[in-house]
This record gives sequence, C-alpha cells and structure tokens, in this order.
Amino acid sequence: MRVPRLHLVTDPNVCPFDRLLALLPELVAAGLDAVHLRARDVPTGTLLGVARALRRVVVPPAMLFVNDRVDLALLSEADGLHLPELGLPVDEVRRLIGGGRAVGRSVHSVAAAGRAVVERPDFLVYGNVFETASKPGLPARGLDGLRAVVRAVPFPVIAIGGITPERVPAVLAAGAYGVAVIRGILGTSDPVEAVRVFRQALDGVEER
Amino acid sequence: MSGWRGWRLREALRLYVVTDRATARGRPESEIVRAAIAGGATAIQLRWKTGPLGEALRVGRELRALCRDAGVLFVVNDRVDLALVLGADGVHVGVSDLPVAETRRLVGESMVVGFSPETLEQAREAEAAGADYLGVGPVYPTATKPDAGPAVGLEHLARIAGAVRIPVVGIGGITADNAAAVIRAGAVGVAVISAVVGADDVQAAAVRLRQVVDAALAERGR
Repeated sequence: MRVPRLHLVTDPNVCPFDRLLALLPELVAAGLDAVHLRARDVPTGTLLGVARALRRVVVPPAMLFVNDRVDLALLSEADGLHLPELGLPVDEVRRLIGGGRAVGRSVHSVAAAGRAVVERPDFLVYGNVFETASKPGLPARGLDGLRAVVRAVPFPVIAIGGITPERVPAVLAAGAYGVAVIRGILGTSDPVEAVRVFRQALDGVEER
Repeated sequence: MSGWRGWRLREALRLYVVTDRATARGRPESEIVRAAIAGGATAIQLRWKTGPLGEALRVGRELRALCRDAGVLFVVNDRVDLALVLGADGVHVGVSDLPVAETRRLVGESMVVGFSPETLEQAREAEAAGADYLGVGPVYPTATKPDAGPAVGLEHLARIAGAVRIPVVGIGGITADNAAAVIRAGAVGVAVISAVVGADDVQAAAVRLRQVVDAALAERGR
C-alpha cells in the first residue's frame, strides 16, 4: 500500500467546503498527496455529500481518506479510512472496507503508538509536534516525541501539528515519512503555492 | 437474522428502549438494558452521540450479547459502520443521517432499517427506499432530545401510520400514562428513553409500559 507524504486535513472553520472544493484541483496538481475529510458536528447526511464531492476532485495519484466513519468511506468510494486514537479497531475496519484501501491511525503518545503496532495500520499520524491553533492550549509534543514514536513502530509516521515548510527538514530528520497540514495550507494567502513549497521541502530531503 | 420481518418485527417493536448515557445517571448501559429486557423490552437501540467509538464498540458488544440471548431486536442509531461491526439486527437513521437507500446498500437485505421521518412525504419515500419501520415523533413534548423539534402529536402519527404499510412506532415523551393513545393512533409499539432509562426502577418501568402497550394492542385487536 502506497502511503502519501503530503496530507491535507479538512476543517470547515478554517476553509469552508465549497471553497476547498474549488481549490482542490489546483492543490492536487501542485502535488498534494492526500485529503482527509474530517468535520466534527456535521450531520452524516451532509458529510456524505461532501465526501462524494471530494471524490470527484481528489483524483489519483492523490488519495481521499474519510475520518472515523467506515460507512461514509464506503459510500464515497474513498481510498482509505483514518481512525482517531480511540476509534474502531483496524482489523474490523479492514473487514468492512476490503482490500486495496489504506487504514491510518492517529496517536498522541508513544504508548498509543506501541498499542497500534499489533493492529498494523498502514501509517500513523502523530502530533501535535509543534504548537497549533487547531489544538489551542495543548503543549507541543516536540521532535523528541516524534522520534520516539518513529522508533516504536515499523510503519510510516506522518507528523501533524504546526508543521510549516521550514520545519519539514527537521521533521523528516526526526524520522517522519510525511506531514499532515490544515492551516499550513488552508490558512495561507496562497494555498497552491503553499502546497508547492511543502512538496519541494519533502522531495528535497528525499533526494539527499 | 432475515427473520426480523413481518409479524416478528411488529412484535419486536412493542416496547423499544433507546439508550442515553445522560439519562441513565451514571448507570452503565448493560445494567439498564438487562433490567429493561427483564421488564419486557422487545427492542434495544444503542444511541451513541458523544465519546470515542472504541467505547461504543465495547458497550455495543455487551448489548449485542444481552439482546441475542433474550431474542430482543438490537438496533444501532446513525452509525451504519458500528451496526455492521457489531452484527446488529438493525440500524436506525434520521433525516440528517445517511439516506435510507444508501443505508440499505451498505447493510444488505437481512438487516432491519428504521427511519425517523419528519413529514408524511418523507415517510412514503423511506418506505419506497426500503425502510422496514418508522419511528414517528416527538408525539409528546420531550426534553431528552433537544434537537427533536416541537411535538407533532397523535394526529400526525395516525396520518403516517395510515399512509404506509410498514409498522410505525411512536417516540417522544411517551409514558405508561399516555402510551395507550399512541397505540390507538395506529402505532405497533412505543419507543422510549426517559420513561425507562431514567426510571429509578428500570425493570418496573418497563413492565408497566409493556402492560399498557399489550392491553392497548389487544383492545385494538392488533
């Protein structure tokens, strides 16, 4: 299973879905690898409409992930499911969504990463590495935490939380396979340029 | 499981108890459900609106086992994926959840699909889309579901029950004192939260409601 390196997580409070849908073709063309549909407190019926609209613009090689809900992932023909730390078990999810789809898991500690080892998701998302407006008041877990999680698991770790293009080299040096971003792309004045710069930062380190 | 149709489904809808953590006042779901079944509940719905899904899975497995042992219909609210993982007998969706047709696509033919229409038109559409039963309400004013809107009353329920062939249960503010009128309006049963889950003696509350429903059904000649 190919694991994407540049993930965008949706947040309707930062970028409303209609604006995001209009932006996405350019973001994908600029090198965005994956989009995670995440929206708390949005009714399921509404989310299904959004998921299907995302499916039309998040095209290969970019992958569409639905957060938490297997039913929405199936109905929108998403490429994968991303589970919160306390979500469904990976094996139950794989049983429902079948082969050929990726399953990710968020973790917020080395202990949680250790628990995830036995259930073998395709990747972990770990954070928040730096301070972020998405989790106000939550102290950064830092690059040391990231390094410890990378050491604890045999699969790729995606770093999240306050990631900027300038921080990408340090994050990759700590062992991260890729990054997941909300405001670093959607909160900027030029999201397409932001994707391009993130892409260069990720690919530049890869070539070394 | 495809046996939950026809008369068996109607029987299972007599006393339909919906879980609600806030109403249970700290008592675990399994304790509430065990007592409700002992008192005569015929269907249990796991309604999980907040909290991690891993916890819902743990609770759901307990309720799944209790219902299976007692031959009681076990339904999951909104989360079709959770219903599938738990091997529930049914899944229940509302107007802001997944549409009935999409729900049916996911669960296949054997699982019961319930729907809560707000209008007569939605009730007819849901029946055509493959819903097996309808939950209509709130029949009476209720504080348990602040999003449920104003009470729609018995006439609304009667209109829907008369317009569809699938069974209808009333929900919303139903107690042992007003349940008979819901059956007389055309419902095959009553769905309750507070009247059972919020009772000091859950089992006794279920017994009383079940007696009222059974008596009203017998009087109507079913």
